[in-house]
Amino acid sequence: MIIVAALALALYWPLMLWVNAGAAQRSLDNGAELGCTTAIACATQLRNPVLPAPAQLGNSLRAMSVPPLAPTSVPYNTLITAGETVVGLLIASVLGIGLAVALVGSRAFERVTLPWLIASQTVPVIALAPMLAVVLGQYGVQGWLPKALIAAYIAFFPVAVGVAAGLRSPDPMQEDLLTTYRASGWQTFWKLRLPASLPFLFTSLKVAATAALIGSIVAEISTISFSGLGKMLAENSRASDTLALWVIMLYGAGLGIALVAVLGLLERLVTPWRAGQSR
Amino acid sequence: MRGTAQPAVHLKDLNMVFRGAQGDTVALQDANLDIAQGEFVSLIGPSGCGKTTLLRLMADLITPTGGELLVGGKSPALARQERAYGYVFQSPALLEWRTVLNNVLLPLDVMNTPKATRQARAHEMLKLVGLEGFAGRYPWQLSGGMQQRVSIARALAFDPALLLMDEPFGALDEITREHLNGELLRLWQETGKTVVFVTHGISEAVFLSTRVVVMTSRPGKIEGVVDIDLPYPRNVETRESPRFFELATRVRELLRRGHGFDADD
Ligand SMILES: Nc1ncnc2c1ncn2[C@@H]1O[C@H](COP(=O)(O)OP(=O)(O)OP(=O)(O)O)[C@@H](O)[C@H]1O
Ligand SMILES: [Mg+2]
Repeated sequence: MIIVAALALALYWPLMLWVNAGAAQRSLDNGAELGCTTAIACATQLRNPVLPAPAQLGNSLRAMSVPPLAPTSVPYNTLITAGETVVGLLIASVLGIGLAVALVGSRAFERVTLPWLIASQTVPVIALAPMLAVVLGQYGVQGWLPKALIAAYIAFFPVAVGVAAGLRSPDPMQEDLLTTYRASGWQTFWKLRLPASLPFLFTSLKVAATAALIGSIVAEISTISFSGLGKMLAENSRASDTLALWVIMLYGAGLGIALVAVLGLLERLVTPWRAGQSR
Repeated sequence: MRGTAQPAVHLKDLNMVFRGAQGDTVALQDANLDIAQGEFVSLIGPSGCGKTTLLRLMADLITPTGGELLVGGKSPALARQERAYGYVFQSPALLEWRTVLNNVLLPLDVMNTPKATRQARAHEMLKLVGLEGFAGRYPWQLSGGMQQRVSIARALAFDPALLLMDEPFGALDEITREHLNGELLRLWQETGKTVVFVTHGISEAVFLSTRVVVMTSRPGKIEGVVDIDLPYPRNVETRESPRFFELATRVRELLRRGHGFDADD
């Protein structure tokens, strides 16, 4: 892990010089005032580098992070996106778990609903988001909520599928065991199916979290937004500010990692029996 | 209720046919057997001869296609409603999210027995199977044999008069199995329960039982019944006695006959 990181860093420097050298040469040929004389030296000082030099990235990171709660700072906008993603994920969990229970509970419901559920996931979010935003806007739903709903729209499916598999996961012998106790359907659900589904729930939530994050960022990009990582990405890409884009990307990656880490922590709290287990 | 004339299990011309796409399977054909209260009866026979099927019929997990079956003088469905039997499955079937103690508590939770006595009862059962020190462990932290003992403690927790056990020691090494045989025998003598015990082991069957029922396959049938008149207490010496050897040979011959082998080849 650490070796891979060190290797990546070691390779980054020559790669960065190589991809930036062309642009640096062109700037020099055009007689731009860069304060450097050779293409290699200028490669670390371009205003919009393809790959930023570590020092450049560090400077931008610092500049864009303060003051942390200003509406123009990246941390503030990361929080906005995080909020949308988390709310979206919560909605997706409730919807997904409810659907899973219904799918497992009734074959008829599954036969009728499943094709539509699958169809719902074939619509690209990027196409769906503007339409959904407009429709919701007509009902006065604006701001962060439509983004959370779009995040929920793509995140509920993995939850529903995962939890349904989990609810079906008990061994037939375990089901027979409860039958010999004359357990009610309700008891079988609470004491067998639900706990058996928890590991599946967390696995699918981790998938859903990344999907929800993509959903909220795409929603921010493709609808009218005044905050969020997506809005910042759209702005800076129009301005070709690659340094800013790199900083925003880093924050986005950090947010994704943080979400999955929090879910991992929650998983250990909720399924303590798996701690130390090798599988 | 011991002492009543009612047999613990009564089967008369019992039939079980599984209907399938590739034709029907006669899992049990015209089985006749009476098991008295307090008996320890083993079912032995080749793979696929219908031993598990017979247990599942008694447990009302499947319904016979013909004949008569009574458990404690009642229909199996009623017996299950009254929670008259405990079932030990071929694999431990523990709930992996419950600790050992909570697994033993499972039937008591489901049956809503008085909360005050539940814990004490579960601890008592764990002690009985020699696992009181493992109450807080999770199933995956236990060996296969220990898991199987937990499942036996679980079946005993609600004190059913009838125990149905499907190859509970099938996956264990010989020495562990013999040890658990001794424990089970002691437990049976102390509690006076009726036990129906499925096994592939001839010596296990002879050592434990009051009677051994030998079955044959295709179609599943009862080939014969061997009365086991070994004296109690039974221990290591019992296994080495000439009488034990004679009885084991009788069972083996019946099994061979069922297999279609000659009795002395
Ligand atoms: N649910 C079922 N559907 C169809 N056939 C079944 C079913 N259960 C059992 N059988 C068939 O009935 C026969 C008896 O099966 P059973 O499980 O009772 O055998 P067994 O004596 O317990 O064997 P083993 O010693 O291998 O456990 C087999 O031929 C099996 O294929
Ligand atoms: Mg079997």
